[in-house]
Amino acid sequence: MSDDARRPVLARRARLRWDAPRSRHVVVVPEGVLALTEEGAEITALLDGQRSLRAVIDAVAGAHPEAPRGLVEADVREFVERLVERGYVTLETP
Amino acid sequence: MTEAPVALLAELTYRCPLRCAYCSNPTNWRDYGDELDTDGWTRVLREAGELGVLHVHFSGGEPLLRDDLEALVRAARDAGLYTNLITSAWHLTHERLSALADAGLDHVQVSLQDSDAGRADRIAGTTVHAHKLEAARWVKPLGMALSVNAVLHQQNLPFVGEIIALAESLGAQRLELANTQWHGSALVHRDALLPDRETLASARSIALAERQRLRGKMDVIWVIPDWYEDSPKPCMDGWGRRSMTVIPDGTVLPCPGAHGLPGMVWDSVRSRPLGDIWRGGEDFQRYRGTDWMSPTCASCDRRELDFGGCRCQAFALTGDAARTDPACARSPDHHLVTSLRRERPVAAAEPDVALYRIDIRRGRRAS
Ligand code: SF4
Ligand code: SF4
Repeated sequence: MSDDARRPVLARRARLRWDAPRSRHVVVVPEGVLALTEEGAEITALLDGQRSLRAVIDAVAGAHPEAPRGLVEADVREFVERLVERGYVTLETP
Repeated sequence: MTEAPVALLAELTYRCPLRCAYCSNPTNWRDYGDELDTDGWTRVLREAGELGVLHVHFSGGEPLLRDDLEALVRAARDAGLYTNLITSAWHLTHERLSALADAGLDHVQVSLQDSDAGRADRIAGTTVHAHKLEAARWVKPLGMALSVNAVLHQQNLPFVGEIIALAESLGAQRLELANTQWHGSALVHRDALLPDRETLASARSIALAERQRLRGKMDVIWVIPDWYEDSPKPCMDGWGRRSMTVIPDGTVLPCPGAHGLPGMVWDSVRSRPLGDIWRGGEDFQRYRGTDWMSPTCASCDRRELDFGGCRCQAFALTGDAARTDPACARSPDHHLVTSLRRERPVAAAEPDVALYRIDIRRGRRAS
C-alpha cells in the first residue's frame, strides 16, 4: 500500500497545545517541547488518525490556495517524516 | 520582564521506602514532614498552569506514598499540564497504575539501581528490583510513555552496558544515565560512590556507542558527571529561568538542592501565590540573570550558556554561593574539584556500599 493512504496520528505521549506566555504552539513530549511554526501547528492539528497523509496534504493545500501545490506537499511530507523519526507520530494502516 | 517558567518539579513527599545511597534529598528530610494537603497541591498546580508551566514532574521521595496522587494528576491535567511521574515503582500495583492512567498520567519514569537484582537491591537498601521490571512493563500497554532513569556511580558504572540492554528490553523510549550529583546522602556515601576516571571513561564510551545504535528507538541520555569535566553544568538552565521546585512543605525553590544554601528566606505557597514568588521572590531574584556574578563569570563569554554553574556546588565547596562553580576550569577554586577526582581505581571504592549506608530514612545505621 502507498504511504499516502496511511493515517498519521500524534502519539499519546505527545500533545499539541497553545503556549500562551510565549505565544506559540508547541508539541509537549515527556522531557521537553517542540516549538512549532504556525504552519507546523496547522499540520499537527490534522494528524488525528482519521485522515490519510494524502488527505492531510489536500487539506493544507486547500487552506493555502496561494502556495504552489508541490511545495505544500514537500513541506507536509518532510514535517510528518521528522515527527515519525522522533517517534512522536505513528503511521496507522487503515 | 521575567520569562514564564516551563516546568514545575513537585516534590510531593520526602518519605520513601527505599534507601538509595546516592539520594540527593536533604538528609534532614524529616524536617519537611508537614506536607501540603490535596487542596494545597491542587492550588499549586492551577497556579502553575496559569503561570505558563507546561510540564509537571511528580517526584519526591516516593510520590506513590501520597494516596491523593490520582487526584493530583487529574488536577494537573485540568490545569493543562503534561504529567510525569518519577517513581521507584515500589509496591505499585497494576490496578493503581491503571487508575493513574485514567486520571490522565502521560509519562512514567521508573528508576533502576543496576542491571542485576542483587546489586540493585543492595544499593536501594530493600528488595525492589524484580518488581520494578514487572511494573515498568505495564506502562506502555496502558497508553503512557516509559522512561528509565539510572543513577550511576562507581558500583554500577562497570555494568552500564547491561543497564542499557535492560532498559531496551523493557521498551523504554528514553533512558537517562545520570551520574551521581554530590548532594544529600550521596555526599555522605562519597567514598563508596565516587568513580575513578578510567571506569567513567569506559562507561561513557559504551553509552555513546549504544546511543548511536539505539537512535530512533530509545533516546540514551548521558548526564555528565560532576567534577570530571572542565566546564560546569548549566544548573537548572539558569536560576529562576525555566523551572521551579515546590518541596513537600510548600516552600518554593529555584532548584531542589537550594534549601541547603544559608541566609535565604524562602517563600511558601501557603502564604504567597506561586506567580508572585516566581516574579518577585527575593531569593528567586538573587542569582537570576548575570548581575550577581563574580568578575570571573561576568567577563566570560559562556555566562549565558552555563549561568556560572551550580550555586549549591559553589557553596558546598567554597562556602560562598555567589562564586564561580569550582567545576569550571576558569574558577580560581578549580583545584578544590580536581583534588577530589580519582584518577585510578582505588581500593577505597570497592567496599560494599551497605557498610557505609547510614540509614537516613529510619534514623539508624544499617547493617
Ligand atoms: S543548584 Fe546545584 S543542587 Fe541545585 S540543581 Fe543545580 S546543580 Fe543541582
Ligand atoms: S567562568 Fe563562569 S560563566 Fe565562564 S565558563 Fe566558568 S562558570 Fe561558566
